[in-house]
Amino acid sequence: MSSTTLEPRTERSGAAVRPPKKRRPPVLPWTLLLPSLVVLGVLVGYPIVRLVVMSFQKYERAQLMGQPAEWVGFDNYAQVLTDVDGFWTVLLRSFLFMVVCVALTMLIGTLVALLMMRLGKGFRLLVSIGLLLAWAMPALAGTVVWGWIFDSDYGVVNNLLTKITGENWLGHAWLINPLLFFTVATIIIVWGAVPFVAFTMYAGLTQIPGEVLEAAQLDGAGPVKRFRLIMVPYVRSIITVLVVLSIIWDLRVFTQIYALQDIGGIREQTNTIGVYIYQMGMAQGHYGLAGAISVIFVFIMLAISFYYVRQTVREEEL
Amino acid sequence: MKRNRLVATSVASTITLALALTACSTGGNDNGSGEGEAATGDIRVWLNGSDTPDAAREYLKTTFEEENPGSTLTIEEQSWTGLVDKLTTSLSGSDSPDVVEVGNTQSPAFTSAGFFREITEEEFQSLGGDDLLQGFVEAGDWDEKHYALPYYAGSRAVFYSPSAIGSDITVPATLDEYVELGKSLKTDSRSGVYWPGQDWYNALPFIWENGGFIAEQNDAGEWEGGFSSEGGLAGLAQVQDLMTNASLAPKDGQETDLQVPFCEGKVAFLSAPTWIQWSINAPEEPETPDGVPGCASTYGGDLTAFPLPGKEAGTTAQVFAGGSNIAVAQKSNNPELAFKAFEIMMSDEYQTILAENGLIPAKVSLASAVPQDNPIAQAGVAAAANTRLTPASPKWADVEAQNVLQSAFTKIANGDDVKTVAAELDAKIEEILNS
Repeated sequence: MSSTTLEPRTERSGAAVRPPKKRRPPVLPWTLLLPSLVVLGVLVGYPIVRLVVMSFQKYERAQLMGQPAEWVGFDNYAQVLTDVDGFWTVLLRSFLFMVVCVALTMLIGTLVALLMMRLGKGFRLLVSIGLLLAWAMPALAGTVVWGWIFDSDYGVVNNLLTKITGENWLGHAWLINPLLFFTVATIIIVWGAVPFVAFTMYAGLTQIPGEVLEAAQLDGAGPVKRFRLIMVPYVRSIITVLVVLSIIWDLRVFTQIYALQDIGGIREQTNTIGVYIYQMGMAQGHYGLAGAISVIFVFIMLAISFYYVRQTVREEEL
Repeated sequence: MKRNRLVATSVASTITLALALTACSTGGNDNGSGEGEAATGDIRVWLNGSDTPDAAREYLKTTFEEENPGSTLTIEEQSWTGLVDKLTTSLSGSDSPDVVEVGNTQSPAFTSAGFFREITEEEFQSLGGDDLLQGFVEAGDWDEKHYALPYYAGSRAVFYSPSAIGSDITVPATLDEYVELGKSLKTDSRSGVYWPGQDWYNALPFIWENGGFIAEQNDAGEWEGGFSSEGGLAGLAQVQDLMTNASLAPKDGQETDLQVPFCEGKVAFLSAPTWIQWSINAPEEPETPDGVPGCASTYGGDLTAFPLPGKEAGTTAQVFAGGSNIAVAQKSNNPELAFKAFEIMMSDEYQTILAENGLIPAKVSLASAVPQDNPIAQAGVAAAANTRLTPASPKWADVEAQNVLQSAFTKIANGDDVKTVAAELDAKIEEILNS
């Protein structure tokens, strides 16, 4: 991507300085790019090709063991796209869940970053350590611990509620209601995602020149105005990257949901797209169908990323 | 500045793409043994849960390593949850385990797709032949060939501790009495019958005793679900009655770590596989670092059991014939050694150890090795006399893998309308079995 956007510029500047010459193939850049291209080709390219091929085949467990797969054209895609109760419901659910998670992650992350700018050295270190610990926690371990916190019989939450309200909350199942299941899931995901957003935002916000903010203050801009009109435009590209990353991470979330479904809840009412693909492929052995869902999903993600990336590039060029 | 941001954006999106697309890659092949010397190697045996007693594990390892000098055997314990997924990925990869245990109802998913090495008729005869548990042999056959053999059968009994609920308790004679007694034993802090919502195995006897069924094939060969049948609905109603009026267990909980509430005295009746006795009647301070604490000095000490009663007085309920099959992996790196380990596990000595620990051995002739002197073993044997299986379809494993029954019974525990749940459940099962 960077090569295509940068190319016209070098061409232009070359034309201005030197008289036109015969173009030689740019050997050096491609040589330098080669190692990473090979790695990307093996790690990203091959799986994608395999996935796309598989999505046009009837690929079940027997095919895993070497039986030839039968080509079925667009059958898998047709089956997925007409499955309203399955695919579309799960997709809609994933989107709603993603929107809530991204909004909360960005909001809390930014607030924590702003807090860190105001804090003294000691407290800032304390907050940083706390964030780092949450960030370092593997998703699976984190989910299991949160599962214990919300455990029906022995969980902290139920015990506290019993003590505070005086009513018997023990045995209350938090995960059985899909809405509450996703509330717990949101807590787990936002808790795990805030540190990255907070650190990145903090890094960005501290780069804003102090004199600009000071000038704005002298001109009578209040804290809200300074944030909205000075700080946000300065870190806009960072925000864009963070939002795109969060959208993609939260859309394809797997570990947290999968582990939480083991702890409790009703699977068919709590599947998100990542878990759904896994169930279709790994659990039931319909690899062709799962492949088709994955390809559709990749296109959706590409569309989202493309929109935001183009948006950024356009703003840069203004 | 401009350029930096551009680069940052493109780098970020590349990383994202890489993350998004390589999340499922697997790798690693730690078996680099030379092909010339196939005589020695490391054999990996996958056993599930804590069902196989430690004595048997020890025997398998030492016997194998004595008989095959230079080779080693590693037992890797897998969890029953998500087993089908895990076996599918590992058995088809280059890092396949050599000998695997698989639930009897899960076998067809693997035998039908060629995941297991074929067991020839000759080998079959030498490993037990007609002496092997017939239903489990059938579960491991495909296309009239043997692929997986019986490992052990389990059975379920209803456990209780007289010191927890009083020694004057009369064992219920019929299923209806069991339901009534269970409800009357419930207090604010104690379950009459402890029943986590995802535990569907325990629900099957209620369906069968009331005349219902899971799914049956009609004349046209189509599968039809039976939870909405008259008997099925009557059974589900009884299940819901117990789950909501006798149990304080989590409505969406799994049937794991059942000894914890039992040892706290929070449980009157516990219907569970017979090997749960070793978890309950265990010392409070585990002897091994990874041991699980039990309560041998309190409720574990006087633990006893009875078989779940049937609809008519004097009968036992038809229960689910749970158990395992074992097989040699098709992609084992050391098929010959793997088969030797397999032979040890099918041997009379090994199977006797299983029997002595209360499991029903794979060979009918060894059944007498199950201890007859204690009530729990007797209850287990009595329950095992009247067993039924899940529908004999290779797609049944998919029903289990999708957790269809867990979800349905969670809804029933939650008090949802039985008729609606049954209709949805039947539709789902029919959809999968007929696909």
